[in-house]
Amino acid sequence: MEKFRTLFQHFQSSSESVMNGICLLLAAVTVKLYSSFDFNCPCLARYNALYGLGLLLTPPLALFLCGLLANRQSVVMVEEWRRPAGQRRKDPGVIRYMCSSVLQRALAAPLVWILLALLDGKCFVCAFSSSVDPEKFLDFANMTPSQVQLFLAKVPCKEDELVRDSPARKAVSRYLRCLSQAIGWSITLLLIVVAFLARCLRPCFDQTVFLQRRYWSNYVDLEQKLFDETCCEHARDFAHRCVLHFFASMQSEMRARGLRRDTAGGSPEPLEGPDGLDGDGSRKAHLRAVSSREQVDRLLSTWYSSKPPLDLVASPGLREGGLNHRAPTVAPGARLSQHTDV
Amino acid sequence: MDKFRMIFQFLQSNQESFMNGICGIMALASAQMYSAFDFNCPCLPGYNAAYSAGILLAPPLVLFLLGLVLNNNVSMLAEEWKRPPGRRAKDPAVLRYMFCSMAQRALIAPVVWVAVTLLDGKCFLCAFCTAVPVSVLGNGSLAPGLSPPELTRLLARVPCPDIYDGDWLLARDVAVRYLRCISQALGWSFVLLTTLLAFVVRSVRPCFTQAAFLKSKYWSHYIDIERKLFDETCTEHAKAFAKVCIQQFFEAMNHDLELGHAHGALATAPAGSAAPGTADGAEEEREKLRGVTDQGTMNRLLASWHTCKPPLRLGQEEPLMGNGWAGGGPRPPRKEVATYVSRV
Repeated sequence: MEKFRTLFQHFQSSSESVMNGICLLLAAVTVKLYSSFDFNCPCLARYNALYGLGLLLTPPLALFLCGLLANRQSVVMVEEWRRPAGQRRKDPGVIRYMCSSVLQRALAAPLVWILLALLDGKCFVCAFSSSVDPEKFLDFANMTPSQVQLFLAKVPCKEDELVRDSPARKAVSRYLRCLSQAIGWSITLLLIVVAFLARCLRPCFDQTVFLQRRYWSNYVDLEQKLFDETCCEHARDFAHRCVLHFFASMQSEMRARGLRRDTAGGSPEPLEGPDGLDGDGSRKAHLRAVSSREQVDRLLSTWYSSKPPLDLVASPGLREGGLNHRAPTVAPGARLSQHTDV
Repeated sequence: MDKFRMIFQFLQSNQESFMNGICGIMALASAQMYSAFDFNCPCLPGYNAAYSAGILLAPPLVLFLLGLVLNNNVSMLAEEWKRPPGRRAKDPAVLRYMFCSMAQRALIAPVVWVAVTLLDGKCFLCAFCTAVPVSVLGNGSLAPGLSPPELTRLLARVPCPDIYDGDWLLARDVAVRYLRCISQALGWSFVLLTTLLAFVVRSVRPCFTQAAFLKSKYWSHYIDIERKLFDETCTEHAKAFAKVCIQQFFEAMNHDLELGHAHGALATAPAGSAAPGTADGAEEEREKLRGVTDQGTMNRLLASWHTCKPPLRLGQEEPLMGNGWAGGGPRPPRKEVATYVSRV
């Protein structure tokens, strides 16, 4: 249990970790999906190639799209790309970095499927059995071409009566499987070498720019999450006060109509109702002076159309005479400088 | 048990997480249901297609409705849709957002069922076994010897290996492989299409209506929380009401006993010792009552919560207006609608 918990906590510690966790999960799901899928080669002349190649390429495409869907950062990236610049300049380098990290993680599951399919060999045998050169195998010497084609089409189906227990079928099947596994292992080796080189040689190039981009892409993700959480907190407090106000207005309404039966002394003043709660100071702080529908709408529109500058030292007022009623003095140049692209 | 609790806590950490968890569970349940289901093709000419169509379409419909039923937000959506505007204008964008998010989550289990059914192939095989091209796959020369109804009856038995007697015309394995291959191709195409659609919807949305989306998300979450908090406050109130009611009843009984019996000493002693305790408890409970102390008022409160929700504006202590209440002050200007139309 402790292991499970620490694993969970580790994966939730940063957005990159979360994405890696999702990536691994999707890869595991792919393996399970492949092993539970019932491969069924049609063993007919034109259909074999379509089925084999379709099965090699369609599920990876669907898994790639799933990888993009499951990754929250893809939506964050598109939002960052499409937002109006407002008071915060957009950095195309950060967007490119986010895009490449999202794509790399989304490619993991499709590659797992393709490699599994190649190492297993069934897809390859099904797709290319009709394209084998019969000259390579002595068993076909005394068969007409059409018979050969029919035979080759049925090679992937072990139980078919035409090819059952036939040494020729076994020979062709072994040959194709060997080819498939060779291609599979070559691709695996190539990918690992490329990944290794990319990882080792990256510090030789623009390391500082890379660090900056990584930082800001992480920042953008965290900022969006925190904003959502803050909105949730705010909604909760807003709702709480709204409900209590409602009860209080009912009370004052009754007093106005003279219907309220006076209970023993010490019953609270209606206007103090919400204020008599414990921790109300903290609740007021949560509301942050945003306490009406128009103000909330304005806050949300401004968050989208004009994100605040990345400068905590300068005066925090929004240029559009926002909601905290402080004189906005943010100069356009006073932003945390991000190095220009090399 | 500890594992379950942790998973529950993780899923409940926020509302979206919880709903995604329910989706995932329903998708797994759907796949499990399919594997546990004993498919049983009738192998009769007219019935095959009907049975297969039923298996392909009826469970997804049931799963979709189940997905909607299990989602608490359905009643919230219906409530928000049907309530009278009162002092709070209704926003169609929020209703649309709530409906879309519920429908999207409810569609996952049916999609999984359809995909698993097509990828498995038994349903498709049962439905289309009579449409197999015998001339291409089997001994085409022998086919004209059979009348169409006989041919159909023969082919309808392809899904049932124990009773199939047409191997002289068409090998059963060949037909099964052919139909399953087509079924799996359709299944993968369906999966690809749905993921493509989901991807386009999710990724292209920020390009268009992002500001309106943020607003709708906030207000739909707000409505949900407000409803829950109102229910909690009412429960608190009901408890306090009940406590005070019972205390008053016992006090009244005590008082009656005092009046009715001559044993004043016997009656007053317990009352005297209990008085300070009940007084303190009564004070606390009366505070919780927030001034609503009789059935009629409570009924009016609940009715006006539905018919006339308070405006989304804190810091004003106006008495309730409308519905015949006495009250002063002008109505606040109706500006809310305009801010929503701009970007959708």
